[in-house]
Order: sequence, then structure tokens, then C-alpha cells
Amino acid sequence: MAYDYQAVHALDGTIGAISERRANHLAVHRATAIAVVLAAPGQTAEAAGILVANGEFEARFSGPGEWLILSEVHAPETLCAELSVRLGDFAFVIDQSHGRVALTLAGPDAARILANGIAIDLHADVFPVGRAANVLCNHLSVNLARTAADSFDLVVMRSFAEALVDDLKTMARSHELSVDFATR
Amino acid sequence: MTAFRLAAGGLVDRSQTVPFSFDGARLSGHAGDTLASALLANDRLLVGRSFKYHRPRGIVTAGPAEPNALVTVGSGARRDPNTKATVAELYDGLTATSQNRWPSLSWDIGAVNNLMSRFLSAGFYYKTFMWPAAFWEKVYEPLIRHAAGLGRTDLPRDPDGYEKSWAHCDLLVVGSGPAGLAAALVAARSGLRVILAEQDFALGGALLSETTRLDGEPPVVFARRVIEELQANPNVTLLARTTVFGWYDDNVFGAVERVQKHSAVVDAARPVERLWRIVAKHAVLATGAEERPLVFGGNDRPGVMTASAVSAYANRFGVAVGKSVAVFTNGSSGYRTARDLTSQGIEIAAVIDTRTNAADTAPDGVRLIRGGSVVDTKGRQRLRAIVTDRGGFEELLACDAVAMSGGWSPVIHLACQRGGKPVWSEALQAFMAPEVGAGLVIAGAAAGHYRLSECVEDGARKASAVVEALGHSVAGFDRPAVGEEVDPSFTALWHVPGAKSKAFVDFQNDVHTKDLGLAVREGFGHVEHAKRYTTGGMATDQGKLGNINAIGILAAMRGVSPADVGTTTFRPFYTPVSFGALAGTSVDEHAMPTRRSPLHGWAARNGAVFIDAGLWYRSSWFPKEGEKTWRDSVDREVRTVRENAGLCDVSTLGKIEVFGPDAAEFLNRLYCNPVLKLPIGKARYGLMLREDGMVYDDGTVSRLGEAHFLVTTTTAMAGGVLSHMEFATQVLWPDLRVRFLSVSDQWAQMSIAGPKARTILQAVVEDDLSDAAVPFLAAREVRLKGNLKARLFRISFSGELAYELAVPAGHGEAAADALMRAGQPHGLCAYGVEALNVLRIEKGHVTHAELDGRVTPDDAGLGRMMGSAKHDFIGKRLSTRFGLTAADRAQLVGLKALEADKDFRAGAHLLKDGAKPSTLNDQGWVSSACFSPTLGGHIALAFLKSGRERYGEKIVVWDQLRGVETMAEVCNPVFVDPENRKLMA
Repeated sequence: MAYDYQAVHALDGTIGAISERRANHLAVHRATAIAVVLAAPGQTAEAAGILVANGEFEARFSGPGEWLILSEVHAPETLCAELSVRLGDFAFVIDQSHGRVALTLAGPDAARILANGIAIDLHADVFPVGRAANVLCNHLSVNLARTAADSFDLVVMRSFAEALVDDLKTMARSHELSVDFATR
Repeated sequence: MTAFRLAAGGLVDRSQTVPFSFDGARLSGHAGDTLASALLANDRLLVGRSFKYHRPRGIVTAGPAEPNALVTVGSGARRDPNTKATVAELYDGLTATSQNRWPSLSWDIGAVNNLMSRFLSAGFYYKTFMWPAAFWEKVYEPLIRHAAGLGRTDLPRDPDGYEKSWAHCDLLVVGSGPAGLAAALVAARSGLRVILAEQDFALGGALLSETTRLDGEPPVVFARRVIEELQANPNVTLLARTTVFGWYDDNVFGAVERVQKHSAVVDAARPVERLWRIVAKHAVLATGAEERPLVFGGNDRPGVMTASAVSAYANRFGVAVGKSVAVFTNGSSGYRTARDLTSQGIEIAAVIDTRTNAADTAPDGVRLIRGGSVVDTKGRQRLRAIVTDRGGFEELLACDAVAMSGGWSPVIHLACQRGGKPVWSEALQAFMAPEVGAGLVIAGAAAGHYRLSECVEDGARKASAVVEALGHSVAGFDRPAVGEEVDPSFTALWHVPGAKSKAFVDFQNDVHTKDLGLAVREGFGHVEHAKRYTTGGMATDQGKLGNINAIGILAAMRGVSPADVGTTTFRPFYTPVSFGALAGTSVDEHAMPTRRSPLHGWAARNGAVFIDAGLWYRSSWFPKEGEKTWRDSVDREVRTVRENAGLCDVSTLGKIEVFGPDAAEFLNRLYCNPVLKLPIGKARYGLMLREDGMVYDDGTVSRLGEAHFLVTTTTAMAGGVLSHMEFATQVLWPDLRVRFLSVSDQWAQMSIAGPKARTILQAVVEDDLSDAAVPFLAAREVRLKGNLKARLFRISFSGELAYELAVPAGHGEAAADALMRAGQPHGLCAYGVEALNVLRIEKGHVTHAELDGRVTPDDAGLGRMMGSAKHDFIGKRLSTRFGLTAADRAQLVGLKALEADKDFRAGAHLLKDGAKPSTLNDQGWVSSACFSPTLGGHIALAFLKSGRERYGEKIVVWDQLRGVETMAEVCNPVFVDPENRKLMA
């Protein structure tokens, strides 16, 4: 018997093919490696110092002494191994590549669309590029990060991914929005 | 004909004719009209019937305080009852119908109530309709409900969409009149992020109906200039058609924007209404002031309006409310209206001033009656004449409209919605907003500055203070030169003496002066009592117009100052808000998010029937061809698990990884059973208590490393346990060095249970799974053939040899498919939560059906788990309370039905054999019940008083809901394999 554990994405089968991108676009990342780093008690500053963004991964604040690490370069296992080596005893590293789904909402109306479900101030002076926060998007808890003036990343628990995409489509009802898997 | 459209003037666009209908009549107005101004332009004075007496009523105001002109707009599913004609923007195709009349507006049978009014005084329903008692619910109340009331709602589904949005700003300005515009302009020029909200469809507020010139130009020109500058500023958001209805904690304001309420054709891509939650660092309330009606005999006749409304209809809408208008005033404002009308060529029948020594002068040629009053009005469905009184001398004065001015009340609702009580100002004879802190300041007429120049100055000044408070420097703003101003001072007059007919205080709820007198006489003189007793201020307008007069009248009757009477309580909403806007997009499938298990696709492919389990969809059972009922499928699944093996999705269980040098100690305190010495690679059943000693949740604890644990929770409590752990670390034991994270969504988890579970699993797993290598309660990492890392736990909920296998979620479907293939030769089947439930009842395992918050570990038969040697754990102290250790507590037992054709249902009560069916004889309850295919009969888990001592006893299971009594035998709750031979195989 052949054993092939082809991975299924949480949104496989729920996102249809699109003919063209529209002014605002929601890209679902299929292959982002995601880990959560929990600073060991009392080691938050040390861990933060090691987690400065580099070409291999990005670290996003997701709570006191807690970060979401996203990497388009690493596979899940190598990301966790790399982080564990770098952080040593300063932190605990937990693979969440299958536990979370990362999406990017980009376009001129991105902030306005998000304001239909997210309570925090998304003005660029208040929530600048590089800032991240755990927020509620309607009923769902997501980690929101600004990646450019008109681009935001959302990281959501896998089981809620479909509900979040449905919500974002509703939030964008009055705006042009297309949804597709990201090409890399 | 009396009311008519003036030949020129006003801000309406006379080049655009807008057709609409009222009660079926085709009429037309102009762009820029409200429904009310268009009705008046068509001489439609009668627009509604009053709530109680069904009296003919006309338009009273030109704004959101309107008590009378409530109409139903639209039809079918888009029917909007109780729409105020005075704020409804006219649009092409608008259909309006009058309310609370039958069969027609002009001929209304309900008006008989007016003739019977002496029997319908305030509180009449407390005194009449008392006998016979049964008649109240069946006859009287339905009758009263039918006769009373305003618009009726419709039940068809609302076809339109709504939206809720958040907005943030440095300064929210509520109201776009002179104070609001000045405040917004100063703040915007100084670099603040500004939101300006206006309930009207046109920005400008009072400037739209004002005639005093600004910089030598009509005030609307000044307003437009300011609005254009604000529009061009990227930091400014202008929200017209937006009512700020509430002020909430943290300076969050609620506002509703009517996005598409002014169009007959609704664009489905946009919401019809949008609910804004505006987070404002500061807010300026520039909501202006409301003109008071005067309380005189017959003051509700169609044609009687506030003077400011009469001016607004003339100046803004180019509509004369009558050909000959009488002005009845207690202050200077009435004279302003008289001037507005004469300048438009409208005749003034007379100016009747209640004051004797006022300095105001009437326009040339207009008769002025000083020290006079109006005591009655004549006419039926429209005003024909008034009766004036001066020094006892009555005079009948022909006129077709009355412009009444009773002074001014600042609009302070928002400032009083968070507990602050209005403060009486003797000087202004009005209730003023209390000091409510720096977050919300009041400007302009809302702060008692009634002159136009004061409004502009006050708005600019209050905004400047906000600018400075936020650390910006104040930009320049040249105050406009203000032309000849009116000082709207007045002498308060709460009711006009000598009324010859009913003098209404609250138009909408038909409360007149005599009702208030009755309230005081019967001991309901307190303002809150009087409100409830008379219903004054309880209508949809919440007494915006009438309350102040009611307070003044109560004060006069009680011989105190209005300050001593005080106001009733201000609460959101300022004006009614539709349920649609409040719900926003949280309807239908968006009312609750759904969660999908990573094995959802696998279950669907295997034909699962799904069931809502909290937010999750879980597979209930997997019907096969030929199975007619769910029981057929479930019984087959149970038998297959007991005889061969089954595969079940258990991914929805909560999973939390715990790290840190104190992780073991932390969990030892969290669970009631000992965890400290759990060996690495082993799992253990864990029971968490609440502080009060009752069971909170159960699950497993696995030690993956010296300082690394994985705990599982029930599906229902996954979130709750995580919060509980956060509380424990942050509040109870911040000294413990522990971190944790929910990993529920990372893993697809499946249970493989049954005597052939090992054989099947071994076909897929590389590692040795022999009992020696993976004994009962082993917890370890394994590698699946094909090189996939997984976690394996030898734990069982069914009592069979069982494992739980966890793989990264995305690989779940493939792993489950591989197991199904490997299991096919061994008779493996997929089973759902129904079979899971039967299996665990047969084995006597508890779930939240048993652990319902009233149950201690000992009640559930788990008392031996309590780590009594432990120094402390959550729930330990209160577990020793007297009542929790009593011998006659209900204890978990099993029940076997003694009558084969009778089943049990959870919730049924237990009675001693022969006892009368009554909860007085209650011996316990059934918590879970099922048909056991293994035992071939109905069984149940139940809680029975001193149950463990009563095995073998015959007992009655009394199901009062179904009216069924079933004999049962009490037994050990472990029905299957009590020696655990299968488990340990």
C-alpha cells in the first residue's frame, strides 16, 4: 500500500477560480510556514531581540511575550528547528503551520473593508506598517498586521478560515473584491 | 386651500419635480423637500391620528422631535412604520400612508375614543377592565392593543442588507449648524481627524432656515463655503443622514447612517443603513435647541406648529403653512417668525404675546396683542380660527395656522446618557447638560448660546480647546460678520390658563394637562411616576417636545421649581433605530461563525450526517444503504466497534500545550487529581473543578517532556478552559513559570477503537505498537508509513482497545483515508458522535450531560481521583463543605429498563417504586440514555440519592413530559467490560 499524505488546505474547495483580480484582492497563502513563539517566563526581551525580522521569517506580536512567526522560505519543520536553535532556552516554539491560515487583503479600500468588522484604528499613523495586533473581526479572533499602506495580513485559526473569508466577502460587499490562493 | 408653495425662495430645487403618493393620492414636491414640506406644499395638513383619542393631527415641527406626523413609508417587506415625515427625505416614487386610522384618515371610527375621553383618563386601564379577571387577557387587552398604537410592522423577511462599521477620530462633531461647522472647521484646519455627523440629509443645521446674514450673504452661502472646505480636507469625514443616537463607555458613539433610505430603488451591493461605532478622543455636541410648544386649549389642531418650524418651511422649503398665520409666543422668537412670514408676503393674523411688557415690536401693520393668550382653536380637521383671551375678553380670530413659540430647550440627550443628570438653569429657564468631562463638550445653542454670533464663537472656542488638549496648535478662523440678530429670550409659561378644550402636553401619547393633575392628585407626582402613570414622554418621540412642559406643570402643581422636579432618565437611543441596523451583517449564516473540522471532507466523503455542536459541525452517524433510521446506523456502528473497530473524528476536542519549569506544578493545582509525578510518555485522565468544588471539565493530560504537557478538554469547554488557565496564571499564581498555547487547530485527531484497532493501526504506523511498546495510557510521537510525524495516545472512551492518533491538520484527511483502507479487510467503519455517545454510556464514562455544574467528583463516582494529599488545587477547600459530602447526595448509577418496549429520556425523574409521581418524591434524574445494542436493551446513566448503595433496586423512571413511567433496575454504571479486559488487551 502506498502512503501519500497530500496536504489539504482549509480553503480547498471553497474558493472558486477567478477570471481577474479586482481592485481589492484577498490572497490565501497555501504554503506559509507558521510557528508561535512563547518567551520563557522572564525572557521576553531576550526572545524579542532574537526575533527581529530578517529575510527568512517575520515576527508578529500576538500577545505579551508571544509572537506569530511567518515564513515563505522555510518548511514548517525547518522553521521550528531554526527558531529553536536561535532562541535556545529563551522561548518555546510551537508549529502552527496547519493550525492557522494566513491571508493578505490588499487594495485601496482594504482599511475601509476591515473597518466593517474590526474595531481598532487602522489609520497609518496609529497602525503603521509592521504593527500587528490580535483583534476581533466580527466574531472571529484574528492576528492583523499591516504589511504596506494598503495591505494587511490576517492570520486565523484553521477551523475558522472559511467563516473568515465569508465574513470578509460580506464586509467588502460595497467594494470590489476578488479572492484566490496566492501564487508564489 | 391654505398651505401652499411660495412662488420663490427656499433651498428646494424647483427645476426638479419629485412625484410621490400619500394615502394613494399622487402628489409632487421638489428635490430638497422633506415629506412634510411636500405634504404642506400640497395643503395636506391632516397627516395622522393620535394614539389614544384618534384626534386628527398635523405636522408640528420641521425636525426629529416630531410627535404627530408619523407615517408608514414603503410597502411589503420594505414597509417602514412610524417614519417622521419631518425628516423623511422626499424621493421619486415614495409612497406614504397614514397610520392609526380606520377606515380612512379623514373618517376614523376610532375617533369615538375622543367622545369617551372622560372614561379614558390617565391610568384608566388600571382602574377599568378589572372584571371578570379572565377577560383581561382574552378580551380587553387585545381590544386595547388593536385600538391603540401607531404604525404596524410587517413580518415578511427584510430584503435589504445592513452594515456595521467602526470609525476613529480626534473630534466628533454632532450637528452641522453654526456651532458644529465652526468647531469642525477649526479642528480640521488645526490638523485633527474630524467626523461631522448630521441627522438631516442636508448639512447646515439652523443655517438652512436662518435669515440673519453672515458676511453680508445668506447664511446658507457661508455654510456651503465651510462645507466645501471640509469636504476637501482628507482628515474630515462628513456624514449627512447620520443620527448620533448614543454615547457609550470610552467615548464611543453610536450613529446610524441612512445610506439608501432616500431611494425607491435599492442597490443590493450597498447597505440601506449603516451603524457606525465612532471612537472619538473628543466630541463636541452642537445639536442646537428645540423650540417648545405652548400648552393651550385645542393646541393639537392641524395647522398649529412651532414658530421655528413655520419659519423653516418658509425659509428653507419655500412653503407657506397658511395664508393667515397667528403667532402665539412667550418670547422674541415669535416675532422673528412674524418677520420671516411678512417678508415672504404671508399675512399675520396677529401676534399674541403672553408677556405684557416685552420690548419686541411686531412687523409694520401687524396686530400685536400683549398680555394675551390663546384659549381654544376652532375647525375640525384643520384650523379655521382661534379664540384669544386678554384680560377676560375673548375674541374669535380667523386664521389657518398658528405659529407657537414657548421658548427653547437645549438638545442635551447625548450628554445625559451615561448617568449625568440635567441641571436646571434659572436664567435660561431650561435644563442644561451636566459637566461630563473633557471627552464631551457642549457648544452653541445646545449650551444655551442662542444668538448666531455666539453659536459660531462657541463652536470655534470649544474646538480650539480640544485642539490644544491634543497638543496641536490652533489654526486661524476669521469669525464671519453677523447681521442683525435675534435674542430669543422668553418668559417661561408651562401651560396657558383658561383652556376651553384639551390642552395637550404630549401630543403623541395624548397626555393633556388634566392627566398630569390627576397623576399629582393620586400620588404620582414624582416625575418618573407621572411619566408611567400618564404615559407622557413614553411615546416614540420620548417626550422630546412635551417633557419640559410636563415638568413645568408638575412643578407648578406641586409648588416647587422645575429643578426640584427634575427630568426623567435619558437613555439611548436618541431616535428609534431599526433592528436591521443593530444586527448589521450578523444574520443568517453570519449570525454565528461555523468551525470546520480538518476531517470534515473525510466525513463528508464517507456519507456523514452532520450535526451542529456549538460552532462545529460534527459527524453524527454514517448511514449505509438499506439503513432506514438513524438507530439502524448507530446500532451498526456500535456493534462494529465492539466486534471489529471504528474510526471517529475527535479533532474538535480542545488541545492545549503547556510549557515551563513549573508546568507540572501548574497542572497539579489545576486538576483535582495528581499530575506532578506523571511520567514522560504517559497520559492520564484529568478532572478540573471549579472553585466551589463542582466539576468544571474533564480531559486528558499527557506528559511529552519534563516541562512539556499536552492537555485535552471537552469540545464545549475548549475556550473556557483556556480562559480559566489564563486567569490562574495571571491572577492566582503569577509566580509560576509556565506558558501555554491552544493547539486545537493544528491537529486532526481520530479515535481508532475496537478489538482490531491495533492491527489496523500497525498497518499504517512504522513504530512497534505492541502492548509492551505502547501500553494503556501511553502518549508518544510516532511516524506513519510514508514518513509523516504523528502523536499517538492509547486512551479509550468506548472501553475498547483504543488509540487517538493526531496528525497535522492538513494531512488529516489523507491519514484517515489510509486508516480506512488499512481497516477495510478488518471490518473497520466510520462512526459518529451518536455511536460515540452510546459506547461511552455503555462503559459508564461521563460527559457534560453528567458534569452539568451541580456534580462533585464523588457524585460522578470519581471521588477516589481527588488528590487529598495535595497541598492545594482549585476546588479543594470548598469540596469539604457539609452539603458536598452528605451521604444522601445523588450519585451516578446505571439504569436498565425492565420493560423492553419502553425507553428512557434524559431529564426524566426517578421515583421509589409505588411513590406518587411528584417532584416532592424526587429521587434523582436521568442524565444520559440510549439503546444499547451490546446489551440489547435501553440503558441510562442517572443520578440517584445514595445510588451506589442501591444497586439491584427497582425504581420508576418518570417522564412527565411524555407522560411515561418505566420500571428500571439500578446497577453499576459500567455496563460493559467492568474488568477492563478489552481496554487492556
